[in-house]
Amino acid sequence: MQVPEELKYTESHEWIRVEGDRCRVGITEFAQSQLADLTFVDLPEVGSTVSAGDEVAVVESVKAASDVYSPLSGEILEVNENLSGSPERINEDSFGEGWLFVLKPENPADLDGLLDAAAYRALLPSE
Amino acid sequence: MIPARFCTFSEPLSYPEAVLLQERLVRSRIRDEIQDTLLLLQHPPVITLGRRGRTDFVRADDETLQRAGIALHTSSRGGDVTYHAPGQWVLYPVLKLGPAEMGTHGYLNALEEIAIRTARSFGIEAFRREGKAGGWCDQGKFAAIGFKFTRWVTWHGMSLNVKPDLRGFDLIIGCGLQGERVCSFESVLGADCPDMNRVAETLRNCCGSILRRELTTVSVEDL
Repeated sequence: MQVPEELKYTESHEWIRVEGDRCRVGITEFAQSQLADLTFVDLPEVGSTVSAGDEVAVVESVKAASDVYSPLSGEILEVNENLSGSPERINEDSFGEGWLFVLKPENPADLDGLLDAAAYRALLPSE
Repeated sequence: MIPARFCTFSEPLSYPEAVLLQERLVRSRIRDEIQDTLLLLQHPPVITLGRRGRTDFVRADDETLQRAGIALHTSSRGGDVTYHAPGQWVLYPVLKLGPAEMGTHGYLNALEEIAIRTARSFGIEAFRREGKAGGWCDQGKFAAIGFKFTRWVTWHGMSLNVKPDLRGFDLIIGCGLQGERVCSFESVLGADCPDMNRVAETLRNCCGSILRRELTTVSVEDL
C-alpha cells in the first residue's frame, strides 16, 4: 500500500500536500481501496470556509457513502471538477489525479498537528 | 466476540426519527461512549432516496404519494431509491468497524449474508447477484442494502421484505434497477410465510454470527 513520504496525513485517511501557502487534499490509497469502486463525489463549494474535522465532501461507491473531513481550518480555493464525470480517478490515482480540493490554511502552524507518513503507516492494518 | 446491543422495536418508527436516533448513536459510538448497537425496526410507508437522490426513479407525483399516505425523504446513505413499509424489517447496525472489518466489500458482503441466510432458514433459495447488491431469489429481490460510514462507524443498512404491501414498490424503480422484480417472503412462501417475530429472531441470530458480535437485548428506552 502506497504512503508517499512527502505527504501529511490524518487519522481519517485524508492526505495533504503542502504547495506553498496552499494545501491539496485527497483520500489515501488505503481509503479508496476500502471504499471500492467510487461512483459519485460531492465536493465542497469554492470560497467556503471550513474548520478542521468538518465533513466537507462525500465519496460514494455502489451501496456505501462515506464522509471526507477537512484536515485543517481554512478556505476552499479549488475543487477537482474533473471528478464529477469520472470519480473512478480517485480509485486509479488517489494521490495524483484523484485529488479532491485545495485549501488555504487559516493557520499554517496547524500543519504540525498532522501525521507524517510513518505515523500514518502505523495506523494501517498489517498486510 | 465484540459485545453489542440489539434493540427490536415493537412499533413502527418514522424515517426522520430513525435517522435522528442513528445520528445520536453514531456520535456516541465514535466517542466510545456506547457499545456497537443494532436496531431492528419497521417504518411507516416511506420512499427514501440515497445521496444521489435521483427523483426520476420515483414514478409517482407528490399528490399521488400524499393520497397513498407515503412519505418521501432524502437520505445520507449510499444507494438509490427504496421503499419501506410495515411488514418489512429494517436493520440499522451502528458498528465501529475494526481494521480487519473495514471496507465496503466486507461489510456489504456481511449484510447480504445476513439477508440470504435468514431467507434460506425459511426455505427460500436465496442467492447473491454480482454487481446487484442485495438478497435475491428466483422471484426477485427481497432485501435492499444502502449504508454510510462516518469515521468507519456504520449506519443505515439493510431492509428485508417479509410481508409488506409490495404495491408500494410499483411507485419506484428500486435501486435504479429497471425491470427487476421485487418479492417478499410472503410472495414466495404463501401461507408458509413466517410471522415477523420469527424472522426477527433469525435476523438477530444471523447478525450475531456473521458480524461476530455478542448480542445483548436492550429496550428502546435503554438506547
